Amino acid sequence: MIFSRFVSSPRPTALSLNTSCFTGLQRRLAAALALMALTLLGSLPAQALTVTDARGSFTIDHVPQRVVALENSFVDALAAVRVSPVGVADDNQPERLLPEVREATGPWQSVGTRSQPSLEMIAALKPDLIIADTSRHAGVYNELRKIAPTLMLQSRRETYADNLKSAAIIGEVVGKKAEMQARLQHHQALMASYARQLPQGKVVQFAVARENTLYLHTPDSYAGGVIQSLGLKVPSVSATDQQESRQISLEQMLAINPDYLVVGTYAGNSIVQQWQTEPLWQALTAVQNNHVYTVDGNAWVRSLGILAAEHMGADLVRIFTQP
Amino acid sequence: MSDLTCPSRHRQLTLSPLQQRVWLLAGLLLIAIIANLCLGAVDLTLTQVWQGLSAEGEQYFTVHEYRLPRIALAIGVGAMLATAGVLVQGVIRNPLASPDILGVSQGAGLAAVSLMTLWPHASIQLLPWAALAGGFSAAVLLWLVCGSKAPPIRMALTGVALAALYSSTIDFLLLTRPLDINNALLWLTGSLWGRGWQQLYTLLPWLILLPAALWLSHRLNLMGLGDDSATCLGVRAPRVRLLALALAVGLTSAAVSLCGPISFLGLVSPHLARQLVGGRHQRLLPVAMLVGAVLLLIADLVARIIHPPIELPAGIMTALIGAPYFLWLLLKLR
Amino acid sequence: MSLTTIDTATSPRRAAGHAYGWRMLGLLSLLLILAWVGLFAWSAIPLSGTQAMQALFSHPTAQVSDVVVRQLRLPRVLVAGLVGACLATAGALMQGLTRNPLASPGVFGVNAGAALGVALVSTYAGWMGVMGQSSAAILGGGVAWTLVMLLGAAWRPGADKGRLVLAGVAVAALCGALTKASIILAEDQAAGVLTWLAGSVANARWTVWYNLWPVATAGLLAALALAPSLNILAVGDEQARNLGMRLGWVRLAVGIVVLVLVSASVVAAGSIAFVGLLVPHMARALFGIDHRKLLPACCLLGAALVMAADILGRAVAFPSETPAGAVLALIGAPWFIYMVRSRT
Repeated sequence: MIFSRFVSSPRPTALSLNTSCFTGLQRRLAAALALMALTLLGSLPAQALTVTDARGSFTIDHVPQRVVALENSFVDALAAVRVSPVGVADDNQPERLLPEVREATGPWQSVGTRSQPSLEMIAALKPDLIIADTSRHAGVYNELRKIAPTLMLQSRRETYADNLKSAAIIGEVVGKKAEMQARLQHHQALMASYARQLPQGKVVQFAVARENTLYLHTPDSYAGGVIQSLGLKVPSVSATDQQESRQISLEQMLAINPDYLVVGTYAGNSIVQQWQTEPLWQALTAVQNNHVYTVDGNAWVRSLGILAAEHMGADLVRIFTQP
Repeated sequence: MSDLTCPSRHRQLTLSPLQQRVWLLAGLLLIAIIANLCLGAVDLTLTQVWQGLSAEGEQYFTVHEYRLPRIALAIGVGAMLATAGVLVQGVIRNPLASPDILGVSQGAGLAAVSLMTLWPHASIQLLPWAALAGGFSAAVLLWLVCGSKAPPIRMALTGVALAALYSSTIDFLLLTRPLDINNALLWLTGSLWGRGWQQLYTLLPWLILLPAALWLSHRLNLMGLGDDSATCLGVRAPRVRLLALALAVGLTSAAVSLCGPISFLGLVSPHLARQLVGGRHQRLLPVAMLVGAVLLLIADLVARIIHPPIELPAGIMTALIGAPYFLWLLLKLR
Repeated sequence: MSLTTIDTATSPRRAAGHAYGWRMLGLLSLLLILAWVGLFAWSAIPLSGTQAMQALFSHPTAQVSDVVVRQLRLPRVLVAGLVGACLATAGALMQGLTRNPLASPGVFGVNAGAALGVALVSTYAGWMGVMGQSSAAILGGGVAWTLVMLLGAAWRPGADKGRLVLAGVAVAALCGALTKASIILAEDQAAGVLTWLAGSVANARWTVWYNLWPVATAGLLAALALAPSLNILAVGDEQARNLGMRLGWVRLAVGIVVLVLVSASVVAAGSIAFVGLLVPHMARALFGIDHRKLLPACCLLGAALVMAADILGRAVAFPSETPAGAVLALIGAPWFIYMVRSRT
């Protein structure tokens, strides 16, 4: 008897899932209809704005004053047009964000980690716009939407080109479309001037060093994209590899053997210090030519965005022009 | 009324201290609920909480949309895992047994991690269903490997071995896809973060398994006397064992699919309950449910308020609270 | 009773003398072939078997292939072999000590305890460096094992095999939960700690080898010296006492040797599971249950297994590497299931 109950019980839940999907669809349809009606009537001033985000379309009828950003790249985009977010999921360690970004914005309230931001804290900040990441925050999209209009954009696994598109969308949504376009043009010009200062076609490998592991960032990664946009080359670990970063051993490092090696480090020991003592490290072309450089891991890995890319470009120019 | 059916050796417990303990536990549950409503990244007064229950209230989201479903979910999941623990310990007749040794949590974990790492673009809504399917597949596999006539201890060991297989596969997946490690680990630790009414509605149908477990309690008492005695008393031991384990599998899979494998809850709550009201399942099961609910509520509360606005997974807290108690208990039991 | 549980299809007496020598020789040649293959196979830099031999036996040159074989591959193969030997021997000792066919460092929580120690030190006290990690591994492993033995009441005559294993599982779960917690709290270290947890010899260099071999050799020799006592232990407490053995001291000695062997290998290569479980059973099937013959066989088989796992780990996702421990776990877990089915 128990058994029959036990077997049949999944059925109602499956049904409830279907109905919830259905109501969701209905709601979205209703929203779309209402939106169309609104735009047709023109009852609202031209303020109502619709952009395309990862969820389809996103509409907002006011210029947001209190923005909460749940990924570093969103803060970067806000900083590019001088909008200060009220809350940021900064893992409670604001120093992990770029100093340029922190300078451009005012102080914010931390809302916890990027992976599990505190929804209570976000609600308490009474935001009128939340910018969240497609993959990390998909599970709480419905909750976030109850707090404020939520713009879903990709941040993790984002390429350099996609990031600039996201930044343009954010600029539009926060009512600074013109400023963002100007900023993006300035960015392109700046990156082009950096590219002119760099020797074209050199092979540059960016790697992140931890205490006992080294990760290479492939051409598909964000850092890889920035490096390529500056006219440099990024070697692939393997042709079939779709991953953005790969843990590698010294042997594979030798096989890749880039002209230039840029190592992002964090506080604490890095494996490169250990490898430097080994004879094989000396066999690397980059080591023989003194072309191994250390950069700030926070800026190169955790930060994505306009300011971050410019920071990387400036780092690279410094690397290549120093005697 | 069930007292009439129980073996006489349980009569020696006097009722009044027992009732006191149960009332104390109920009081604790109430306090935990109120604390969970009031405390968090933002502290609220009772008046604010009351106003927040209505849609016009200023704190409507925090109270009604966030804390309330989370509390209800914690109570449900805590009670389910604790019940699963009582059932497994009753059937395997070993104080060290827990739902974990059936390999169900690990199977669910493997399914969830596979979804997260192999199909990173799959909808997050699929995750609970994948986990549920993984949990049930693990149970079926255990049953296929053991056969229905295996002695309980062998079943436990087979479950452990299967669990080892699933965890090694999880590790393998995590190692070959380093970018997803953190998300996957968060899920694998068990967390109530971001769970709302929708998850609670998904959980509701499963709660029907709780009375079903209570319905088995008399037979579980007799099973405690050993298979032979139980058979003499008219209990079909293999069938009861299968039923109880199936219930435990259902409860664990459902709980794990929504909140991830919350460690030690299924292991510790039955022991705590047994210390409070003894081993009769008619009392043990409800009290274990209460204990499980209270433990998970406290764990989630601590996880939310220990370092705001950082939210820790509740599974870390249940491990930190549960594990030392468990060790102490075992050393004493020895 | 205990004899029948540990015994396998082969009768111990038939595996005597002659056959033993041939089988050992066969194993040794297998080991040498694996070691040779390990020197050049699946390299990111093109290497051939002859190049590997040249690098070993001819005059050192500065060629990259030469240096790779000498500086990376050779210590890696050696460390893999020695770690395998240590873990397999430790498993055989544990099974002899507890008379439990499922006893092994992995199942009894020693690996998990050592891993917890390392995770705690590397996330909260990174400044302590490698030495801190080593001592944390030893401490964690030792505490976990003591706990399991106490909880499982291993010393009691006729101790329940299942209870001991469940105690190991509970302690391993506890350590695992705490390890996960510390990894989540320090997000950055996650991938590194996980690689370490799985166990890998990819970063084994000569320094690792120099730190490993003295301890490991001492442990292995001590294990061999204990072999006769283990044989007596296998016949049961009562008889062993009648034969004039001081059970407490023997158990203590075996326990210490196990801890030394496991800690040495955990420090060198992380916590590689399942070698200690699988190898003693394979060795018993091939060489019988006499510990004097069993332990050397375990060394060779364990070494061969870890070397093979390392080669496989390079092959499965070439050109990126998978930790040898992860590969071993995937191979070992089904075997574990089979063991439970057949030996309990």
